[in-house]
Amino acid sequence: MTPLLLGLIGLALAAPVPALLARASWPARSPTTGVILWQSLALAAVLAISGAALSTALWLVTHDLTWWRIVLHVAIMGIGVLVWARFWWAAWHVWHETTRRRERHRELVDLLGEQHGALPAVRILAEQTPVAYCIPRRRDARVVISQGTLDALDEDALQAVLEHERAHVRTRHDLVLEAFGVLHRAFPRPLRTDAPLRQSQVLVELMADDAARKVAGDGALARAIVALAGGVTPAGALGAGSDAMVRLDRLRDAPRRQVWPGALSLTISVIVLIGPTVLLAVPWILHAWQTLTS
Amino acid sequence: MPRLGELERSVMNVLWDASASLTVRDVLDALGERDLAYTTVMTVLDRLGTKQMVRRERDGRAFRYAPVLNRDEATSELLHAALDEAGTDRTAALVHFARTVDPAEARALRAALDEIESRTSE
Repeated sequence: MTPLLLGLIGLALAAPVPALLARASWPARSPTTGVILWQSLALAAVLAISGAALSTALWLVTHDLTWWRIVLHVAIMGIGVLVWARFWWAAWHVWHETTRRRERHRELVDLLGEQHGALPAVRILAEQTPVAYCIPRRRDARVVISQGTLDALDEDALQAVLEHERAHVRTRHDLVLEAFGVLHRAFPRPLRTDAPLRQSQVLVELMADDAARKVAGDGALARAIVALAGGVTPAGALGAGSDAMVRLDRLRDAPRRQVWPGALSLTISVIVLIGPTVLLAVPWILHAWQTLTS
Repeated sequence: MPRLGELERSVMNVLWDASASLTVRDVLDALGERDLAYTTVMTVLDRLGTKQMVRRERDGRAFRYAPVLNRDEATSELLHAALDEAGTDRTAALVHFARTVDPAEARALRAALDEIESRTSE
């Protein structure tokens, strides 16, 4: 029973649950706990599927030992090791690739961009296309904006943009995105959805928005989003899919001090993380251990 | 040394503005800063070399330096990386403030903005 149940939970957490949750709007009302919820779901899926494999393998050798049971046990453990290897390989690959590209990008920005006081270092590119982004890094992160952005924004809106990017850099939102990037690559294609990665991208924007609106105000932040998202569209960049509307909707609704979305996120996080592990895996492993040692 | 970054930028600008490859002495003269040491310029050129921004070629007993990419090429690489990440990049090397949307969505955004502005100005 245990292996089957864990497997079902794992599969549910890997695809249908994220797809359902992605349609709900309440996690976005409390972005930080929303991110925690998505992280917990992902981790719980990994744990449940690993648990299913492990308990199947153990079950095979806790009953009468026939040669095919041992072969199957070794095969499952082997596949398990391969899946883990694939995961860490994906992790290393994403990390390495991202670091390399950021490094190169930062060097180019430093050589071409004009310095602008304020920390983390802001660089201004002499380009008319309005862009604003950050190059995250543990030390020496950069916030990059173009002349076009400066021209398109009033002072408060510019402050909102800078504060938004500083929040990304300060709270290392890139690490959240990278973690989901790794999971996304590591999961076999038929088992995964885009939801966790997409949703965490939106939530991270909302988190940075929260920091920006505290400093610059809702109006200034909304103006900045509209100026930069709804500006001149460069050819070929149409329909890139944006979070701008979600972000504006959040600003449009008068700030509601609601505790329940955050509380619900945290509750579900705890349940999915602890539930399968404690209720199913631990008793089973203990039982298997006793059978093996007695 | 916080100045080194700014110096790299100046040196790169000298190389970009020059029509041919330059020696360390040429760069030093073009920078026109009196208290700048020859060895400092050499260090900066070395650093730019390891970043693959500058190419070094031997000319008799001296070395000559030239940019690997000209200014336009470098700008284009930079902007390409900055703008092209929309769909293909999943690793989020850069985190954008906002991406451009299509005209219909832009109209919706403006309508939402009007609402927010009228609320905040009350």
